[in-house]
Amino acid sequence: MGGLYLGSRLEFLRASQNQDGGWGYFPGKQSWLEPTAYAMLALHAAPGSDAASDRAWQLVRSWELADGSVRPGVEIADGTWVTALLVTLACIRQVHDENVARSVGWLLRVVGAEHNLLMRSFSYFNLLKTKLDVSHEGWPWRDGNASWIEPTALTLVALKKAARHFPSAELDRRVREGEELVLARRCSDGGWNCGNPNVLNFDLPSYPESTGLALVGLQGRNAKELAAPLEVGRRFRAETKSSLAKAWLAIALRLHGQNPGTQAEDAWASSDILLAALEALAHPEGNYRLLGTGGRA
Amino acid sequence: MNRRLFLTVSGAAVAGTYAGMKLEKPPKLPDGPAGASAVSIQRARSYSDDLVSRMLEGIQQCGLDPRGKRVLLKPNLVEFDSSTVINTDAAVIAAAVEVFHKLGAAEVKIGEGPGHRRDTLDLADDARYRSTIPRFESIFTDLNRDDVSPVANFAGESRFYFPNTVLAADLIVSLAKMKTHHWAGATLSMKNFFGMVPGSVYGWPKNKLHYLGIPESVVALNRQFRNTFAIVDGIVGMEGNGPIQGTPKPAGVLIMGRDLVAVDATCCRIMGIDPEKVDYLRLAADLGHVHEGRIQQRGETVAQVRTNFALIDAYKNLRLA
Repeated sequence: MGGLYLGSRLEFLRASQNQDGGWGYFPGKQSWLEPTAYAMLALHAAPGSDAASDRAWQLVRSWELADGSVRPGVEIADGTWVTALLVTLACIRQVHDENVARSVGWLLRVVGAEHNLLMRSFSYFNLLKTKLDVSHEGWPWRDGNASWIEPTALTLVALKKAARHFPSAELDRRVREGEELVLARRCSDGGWNCGNPNVLNFDLPSYPESTGLALVGLQGRNAKELAAPLEVGRRFRAETKSSLAKAWLAIALRLHGQNPGTQAEDAWASSDILLAALEALAHPEGNYRLLGTGGRA
Repeated sequence: MNRRLFLTVSGAAVAGTYAGMKLEKPPKLPDGPAGASAVSIQRARSYSDDLVSRMLEGIQQCGLDPRGKRVLLKPNLVEFDSSTVINTDAAVIAAAVEVFHKLGAAEVKIGEGPGHRRDTLDLADDARYRSTIPRFESIFTDLNRDDVSPVANFAGESRFYFPNTVLAADLIVSLAKMKTHHWAGATLSMKNFFGMVPGSVYGWPKNKLHYLGIPESVVALNRQFRNTFAIVDGIVGMEGNGPIQGTPKPAGVLIMGRDLVAVDATCCRIMGIDPEKVDYLRLAADLGHVHEGRIQQRGETVAQVRTNFALIDAYKNLRLA
């Protein structure tokens, strides 16, 4: 399946799983939820990978906290943005128990702190250093901080997937709000950066990887609305020097039914586990569809 | 509360707070710790100069002895754009690796955790780190994705996580770039420590630091990590809308010292910025010396190398008289 490119990445992932069932960002390092989640997605349904995935799933479930959030790694005490990744994994694994419901509830409770009354007031009176639309509710990296594109996009994927089993008006509203936030934070050059398009009246440039993630989060939006950003994504995919960005853009373009262009077929030659997983997902025969949401919630 | 009343009340509150902040006169800067701090200014007109000799001279002038120490070099690696001056130049890092080995360090590692871009290894490739620095991959750690351990009571947080590579170092050398900064006025050796906060825990950008306050976070990081040295790459700095979109500014200097507050204050004076007006330096005045009279300048003098960096409108008030 997938030849040398996909095969060598999946083999690297299998070989670099930690004893505790998780994956670190690099072989032999502490297990973290982020590389574990993407490794699980990359290996999903691959022959001989079920046991590895089950062990990983057990580990990440042990990181669920009572408030519904999920710890990002073995050493970290509090829950973060990775809660969205656990919900996505749970939906793919058809797990819809009380703990997952609590995690969905946590995602619905958490709102980027820039949406608070004081910041909206500052924004209204044009007193912010950033030209930032703070009227929409997105998601932060950590509860109590501001919304950014990546955690918002990943939470949009999680909630759109969870909508079928945990439907609510609030979920629908937060998905709409999150999408509006992403659209409002688009940079003047047509793509997205981390989530801050202008500082002190200077427009900031967009980043290819953030553009890919934003497009993944915006699945299901009107095709006309996304035509220009998708064009930017195709251009970034051809030009970027970032392997991570190439992978996210390929995933995004494929999920939007577009051809991301030529696919390198080189064997894996790095130690970066997250990158290996994302490149495997992004391959035409990879599992990129697992991040598909089939439209809006 | 209806919308009109809300806007009136919140507007008055916001305007009052804002006016109060603007009118408040900054308190007198404290004298700082006892004694004086040595800061070396070495001329280096290009990256092909003999940077090793310049660094050896500067380190000797500042009395640093790294023998037997585990040294972590912390460059400023920010963006994919090898045609500009955003990142600490690879030649400076390669020279520092050689210098600390020559001086008998037990080990020399390089670590960085960029604030916005996640693909640190490709960033390093694009910045020519891999091709310029011998054995780069074996000595480099992506601090955003390193193993971490908790530290108690950092900046008012009961638990804060730092990369194990940072916690294990006996000496952290800030290999910063001399740049203006649209949030802090200038970004030099002290703010460079933002890259030691792991993105895997705090995100990209490390927004937790923004909520703690940028000047407050700069100072907290420098209070937490005290076994430090600075080598600031001012050979070609960045002026205007730094730290990313500014323009190259040749200053032709390397600035070195054990007191990072004094190093940054000296860099500011070289850039034509009044360090006493830079918030984080005011807050750090108990950690090191901002006052010119308490800094023993070695090598060149500030007057010999001063070259005003262009400042955006929001920071014109920082200009040194």
